[in-house]
Amino acid sequence: MRGSTRASGTAERVSTVTARVATLQDEVPPPSVEISRTRALAHALRRQPLGAFSAALIVVIVLTAIFADVLSPYDPLETRPEIRLTRPAWDHPFGTDDIGRDVLSRVIHGARISLWVGLLAVGIGTAAGMVIGLLCGYCEGRLDLIFQRVMDAIQAIPGLMLALAIVSVLRPNTTNAMIAIAIVIIPGNSRIVRGAVMSAKQNRYVEAAQAIGCQHPRIILSHILPNVTAPILIIASIWLGNAILIEATLSFLGVGTQPPTPSWGLMLSSTGRAFMEQAPWLAVFPGLAISLSVLAFNLFGDTLRDAWDPKLRNAR
Amino acid sequence: MYKYALRRLLLAVPVLLLSSLIVFGLMRIMPGDALTLLMGESGNISERDLAKVRKQLRLDLPYHEQYALWLWQMVSFSPGDSLFTGEPITTSLKKAVPVTIELAALAMVLGIVIAVPIGVISATRQDSTADYAGRVVAVSGLSIPDFWLGTLVITFAALWFHWIPPVGYTSLWVDPWRNLQQFLLPAAVLGFRLAAATMRMTRSTVLEVLREDYVRTAWAKGLAGRIVVYKHALKNALIPVVTIIGGQLGVLLAGTVVVETIFALPGMGRLTVEAILYRDYPVVQTNVMLVAGTLVTLNLLVDLSYAWLDPRIRYS
Repeated sequence: MRGSTRASGTAERVSTVTARVATLQDEVPPPSVEISRTRALAHALRRQPLGAFSAALIVVIVLTAIFADVLSPYDPLETRPEIRLTRPAWDHPFGTDDIGRDVLSRVIHGARISLWVGLLAVGIGTAAGMVIGLLCGYCEGRLDLIFQRVMDAIQAIPGLMLALAIVSVLRPNTTNAMIAIAIVIIPGNSRIVRGAVMSAKQNRYVEAAQAIGCQHPRIILSHILPNVTAPILIIASIWLGNAILIEATLSFLGVGTQPPTPSWGLMLSSTGRAFMEQAPWLAVFPGLAISLSVLAFNLFGDTLRDAWDPKLRNAR
Repeated sequence: MYKYALRRLLLAVPVLLLSSLIVFGLMRIMPGDALTLLMGESGNISERDLAKVRKQLRLDLPYHEQYALWLWQMVSFSPGDSLFTGEPITTSLKKAVPVTIELAALAMVLGIVIAVPIGVISATRQDSTADYAGRVVAVSGLSIPDFWLGTLVITFAALWFHWIPPVGYTSLWVDPWRNLQQFLLPAAVLGFRLAAATMRMTRSTVLEVLREDYVRTAWAKGLAGRIVVYKHALKNALIPVVTIIGGQLGVLLAGTVVVETIFALPGMGRLTVEAILYRDYPVVQTNVMLVAGTLVTLNLLVDLSYAWLDPRIRYS
């Protein structure tokens, strides 16, 4: 009897302590999310040489795009027929194309187009996907049902085909290619955000915020949004590589960036294919630029995922 | 199981209807209508003649009637004629669909045959040279654009082996050898990306399964390594692999657009690109809907295949 009383007393104390710890965990503000994420990323970059390599490559690509005018040795649009199809040499490290334009300068300026289209498309697609995902995940019910079916319908059409159809409707150019890519990105992003919001909604602090009568916009913006930024950033970094790839593919098929603007995909389709046996460098360098950029963003996305979302590590 | 299949089938109907609305809507938001665009670009044509042709093509009907008519045409397998060639769309599809099916099937077989064994080897020999080599190939496969790989393959096959794949299309039943020559390279290019994604997923799931208790038990029983890996581990590891293959079907079908264009194969992809370039909207909307329908059906089959792979899954 005495033993059972002692045991129940201990159990009570344990449950009180557990409850107190749980309360404290809820009360004590978490360490700054930004600082811990930056640390986690820095740790992952130190641990994974491929991650560090991809980050360095991204820095190089971004700097190349920003300082393209300074870095390129020639004007990318300047034609010099007298030196057409020159092999790679000291004067023209990547050779010249069929009308004597310097391929290196065009590849450098191509980085600007690719990155610009990629960033804007992913920015628009991520923002729209985030709004839809937040609304669907938070409100659920009919709104969620309707939006998710629309997302299903968009996803039923292969991304590239949808982008092709959109660009053909809006007329082929860089801006419309960007809009098309953004539309392709929205469904996948909204799904990920929706899942993350639904999971974040289960947290006690969200319940507490609802219980004390916080307005819905405040709950969404202050309590849920900070919890879904990690998956959003991870998926955005991976999409950036895909967006560059889709832009290059659209330009390759003739419905993206239009000549004479230097775009990697366009360089491959216009001169790269036409002179591929005679001048393989016309196909090799733009393709290498696309592959390295996509590779860098894919690897960096993997590293971000490893650093910020250990649950997703095995999804690689 | 039957209930689940029926429920999934019924869910697919609204998705397809919404997809059809998106495709139809896209084709109608062109500035003016497709005909004005087509005729306006091709030369001078009087407003009277334009109205006559518009009436012939039923473009004078209200949108909802046009949509209903188009849906009926799709359901009754008579989607009308091409605006550009005047040929019935079904005739073009009869020629193009077998090409795409053969290309996609061959790419899928090549992709899986390459990816699964390499993924398993990568997992069973984790952090070995073979593992690193497999992972590099996998990451490259996700980063190298189809159109660049295709261009390089054609270029270097011609430069090094003085061989180019025979142009055009010869049916498998007419001349199997020539058909294989025409399809092998495009299928390998298309299969490379699928192989990359499948390889990564196979590696990570096999790694996960190999750490399960039942696999440890199998090792402890003294079973041969091959039996443990292939009989015990691989079957359970295959479920996420099937999911990723299912997810890649869209990429595969979209990839045919690029690969068929590069290798001059007269399939669905090339037909769609040409229709988009010529703004032949009846062909575009029919092809995109056909691809969406195929994708929805294939995804349904992939879902149903889970039950075969994992008896624990009970759909009821």
